[in-house]
Amino acid sequence: MRALSHRCQWAATEIAEHVEEDGMRNRTVRVAVAACAAALVGTGLAACGGGSGSGQTRITIATFADFGYEDLFAEYEKAHPGVKLENRKLEFDAHHSQLATQLAGGKGAADVVAVEEGWLPKFRTSKDKFVNLAEHGAKDLAGQWLDWKWNQGVTDNGSYVLGVGTDVGSLAVCYRKDLFQQAGLPTERAEVSKLWPTWEDYARTADRFAEKKPDVKFVSAAEQIFLAMINQAGEGFFAKADDSFVADTNPKVRAAFDLSAGLAAKGRTSGVKPFSQQWTVGLKQGGFATEVCPAWALAQIAEGAGEGAKGKWDVASVPGDGGNWGGSFLMVPKQGKNIKEAAEVAKWLTAPEQQKKIFDKTGNLPSQPSVLRDPAVQGKTNEYFSGAPVGQIFAASAESLKPNYRGTQDSLVRPKFQEALLRVEQGKQQPQDALTQALTQSRAELK
Amino acid sequence: MFVYGGLAAILLASVFPLYWSFVVASKDNSALGEATPPLVPGGNLFANIARVFDTVDFWAAVQNSLIVAGSVTVSNVLLSSLAGFAFARLRFRGRNTLFLVVVGTAMVPTQLGVIPLYLMMAELDWYGQLQAVIFPALVSALGVFLMRQACEEAVPPELVEAARMDGCSVLSTFWHVGLPAIRPQAAVLAMLTFMTAWNDFFWPLIVLDPNDSPTVQVAVSTLASGHFTDYALMLAGTSIGVLPVIALFLLLARQVVGGIMQGAVKG
Amino acid sequence: MFSRWDIRITPYLLIAPFFLVFGVFGLFPLLYTAWVSLHDWQLADGNQGFVGFDNYAALLADPLFYNALFNTVSLFLISTVPQLLAALGLAALLDRSLKAKTLWRAGILLPNVVSVVAVALVFTQIFDRDFGMVNWLLGLVGVDRIDWQAGVFSSHVAVSAMVMWRWTGYNALLYLAAMQSVPREQYEAAELDGASRWRAFWSITVPSIRPTILYTVVVSTIAGLQLFVEPALFDPKGTAGVGGSDRQYQTLTMYLYEKGFRVFDAGYASAIAWMLFVVVLVFALANFMVTRRSVRDS
Repeated sequence: MRALSHRCQWAATEIAEHVEEDGMRNRTVRVAVAACAAALVGTGLAACGGGSGSGQTRITIATFADFGYEDLFAEYEKAHPGVKLENRKLEFDAHHSQLATQLAGGKGAADVVAVEEGWLPKFRTSKDKFVNLAEHGAKDLAGQWLDWKWNQGVTDNGSYVLGVGTDVGSLAVCYRKDLFQQAGLPTERAEVSKLWPTWEDYARTADRFAEKKPDVKFVSAAEQIFLAMINQAGEGFFAKADDSFVADTNPKVRAAFDLSAGLAAKGRTSGVKPFSQQWTVGLKQGGFATEVCPAWALAQIAEGAGEGAKGKWDVASVPGDGGNWGGSFLMVPKQGKNIKEAAEVAKWLTAPEQQKKIFDKTGNLPSQPSVLRDPAVQGKTNEYFSGAPVGQIFAASAESLKPNYRGTQDSLVRPKFQEALLRVEQGKQQPQDALTQALTQSRAELK
Repeated sequence: MFVYGGLAAILLASVFPLYWSFVVASKDNSALGEATPPLVPGGNLFANIARVFDTVDFWAAVQNSLIVAGSVTVSNVLLSSLAGFAFARLRFRGRNTLFLVVVGTAMVPTQLGVIPLYLMMAELDWYGQLQAVIFPALVSALGVFLMRQACEEAVPPELVEAARMDGCSVLSTFWHVGLPAIRPQAAVLAMLTFMTAWNDFFWPLIVLDPNDSPTVQVAVSTLASGHFTDYALMLAGTSIGVLPVIALFLLLARQVVGGIMQGAVKG
Repeated sequence: MFSRWDIRITPYLLIAPFFLVFGVFGLFPLLYTAWVSLHDWQLADGNQGFVGFDNYAALLADPLFYNALFNTVSLFLISTVPQLLAALGLAALLDRSLKAKTLWRAGILLPNVVSVVAVALVFTQIFDRDFGMVNWLLGLVGVDRIDWQAGVFSSHVAVSAMVMWRWTGYNALLYLAAMQSVPREQYEAAELDGASRWRAFWSITVPSIRPTILYTVVVSTIAGLQLFVEPALFDPKGTAGVGGSDRQYQTLTMYLYEKGFRVFDAGYASAIAWMLFVVVLVFALANFMVTRRSVRDS
């Protein structure tokens, strides 16, 4: 055998020399291969060296956007030696659909996950994948939260606590003082609020504005107005009583659509997607005079519009009644390995002291009356928005508002109306046709 | 002259979008909103890159991508060459049918099996581990196809015969006769595999933990997790993410171009 | 003894890794998807019961499915046909005695190196309604700006531009390689017969590189019909979008993604996946036949 293979190698080398061409045994190839191999070995070693800590309980918390948790993690770790907290961050939509995949696979979800209010009904149907936080003492804490916020996070008549609330997003309208002045409109926030007791008044203000400043859009997207109006209605696309689809008969949906589509058809809106690149650029260019802003949106506008617009923005009250838009819940998937610790973390992160710190840092509005009434919270102003008393503006309405009822299929239907408004903005359809199509598509989706 | 003018225009069109992504990456995000689109790099490149490194652990991502792309490349080139050699130069029962099956598998849409594949990885306890991305890519139909083509073209049957007469085993015939002959095409396959693995995005985003084990593309996609989509930041991420591949490309340009030329299906 | 065993068994061992890997990570998911498609299957909650072919029946009656199918085919045609023709022309241009060969060849291959995510971001900005470069250039010559995302045709053109940019050079190199093995005497003979360059190209070059054309047509068909990242990122909503306000550029794979990962209807999504597979198969075979016929042998 051995002799044979020697002979073979010799013969093969002979033969190989025949097939060889000079370009192939190029040095660069060898160098590249060697470099690759070295990189592989190097990284492999590094990966081995940097392994996980010893005997620590690691709790991962999956969020999107900015929850303002970094400093709090350090604080928690200090008070709980042996526990290490880690934040996983993804883009809003990717975060939620990845969570669904992880629930399906039974593995991979973070120990604590944030779920936004609009997505929550979709996960409520999978409640058996989540820990009932009532078993971890959450129920005794119910009194901490605004009633409506607490109720959004529970199911089975309140016996199953799916999630504990983080923030809420009561509504206001942000506006550019300088643009208002150029259009001959008042700039003082009290007077601006008086311009629009109702959304009809808001639309009329848009017309007045457009006469003087035709190049600037009054608001970035019609969907902003539509969603704000839906969020102010007790019932939207679905009936509170039996979760049936009522968008085609609910006059509030009709009114919201007509008004926002009317703005769109008149070209008062820009038709960019809020929070997209185009939106950011529009903000920076001073392309929008107003934006609907739930409490959490202030930070997004400030960061998007940049330092250059500091002091040019201000906050006025929202037309119509109070309403809530957004806000999230922390939930604990059952698949986690440290459920008990995870539940503690979730409760701790949503506790009043922490909500207060988060509000101070990010402006995310607390969801608990004791915090909302806190003098420090009430007295908070926002420099970027011309020193607007954001504590007062948002905290006051958070306590009095009636939240919109979200049907279980709400997140399926809502985009159909947003797309319809975009079609009107793009001049593809008349408002009536766009609405008809949205209703047809919604019904088809619900079948 | 006309020919060179045309080629220069095409070259410009090939390079421009890439150049332009560096331009955007070197500016403040708002520069995109100016009346005249930016054409000259600005001074924010390093600030933006620093923001990338602040937002994600980019070095870890580069390491992970090197591990994934490196091992996938080595394995795919080796295993595809072995199979390609067998299909081109060895006689065995069912050869043609089996090769048709290989080609047929290329028609299976990759996104088709994402959900069951995820369930399987969860079952194996591979979620968040690099092997979940590596194993499905160990060998590809395209690789087998290209390597078979390469062997048909470049490995003379007489030499295979001669080696066998001298008592070489099948494996050593492959190693000493087959592999040296198809080297340029193997370099192409290596480059293509490395690029595909490096740039893969859909599957790693689902199966890898964006904090523990991101690849470069996963890390770039987490750059979109801020308050809003920031093109300057994201393109800074993609720009430094593409550097290793461009370096490899430039290093291998001559081989790759030459190899594509040799590996092509001849008329 | 050893050598007989070697000759008979080793070939199978050499091809075994491919079949093993495909069996585990390709075939199993494929069959599993078929199984899922026969059930009412919710992504997070799992199997809700057997429904037979209900998902397929619903799909065949679903106007949004046909919309996605139309977009997929339209995008495929708009991006692939000009792309392959351009690649042919480019290859013909390169198939002359040129200086700095490697520069031109490497240059046209460069787009292929860039990740598709980066390509999508850059092109989305280039085709931006308000601040995009294309509209800026159009403005210079007095053409009104175009809302590229809004229209069916305009959005398809923009998405196709990304695909073409990435793949034209790659295909051109494949063609060039084949062209270089066409015997030069054939061209000389044609010239003597008084045939124009144009004529010689169509009657000699193209038929000679027929196998390469067939190969690129089939490969482009498979990739083109599975188009996902380019159109998905062209939507300002990203993967959360549905391909425009009226789904004007939603492809089948995007529809699959919407149903599977947004609506969580895994059963329906799996049915779409299988329909997509069938569509790819039909088109790949049809294109193979048509191309083989129309590009006659020399």
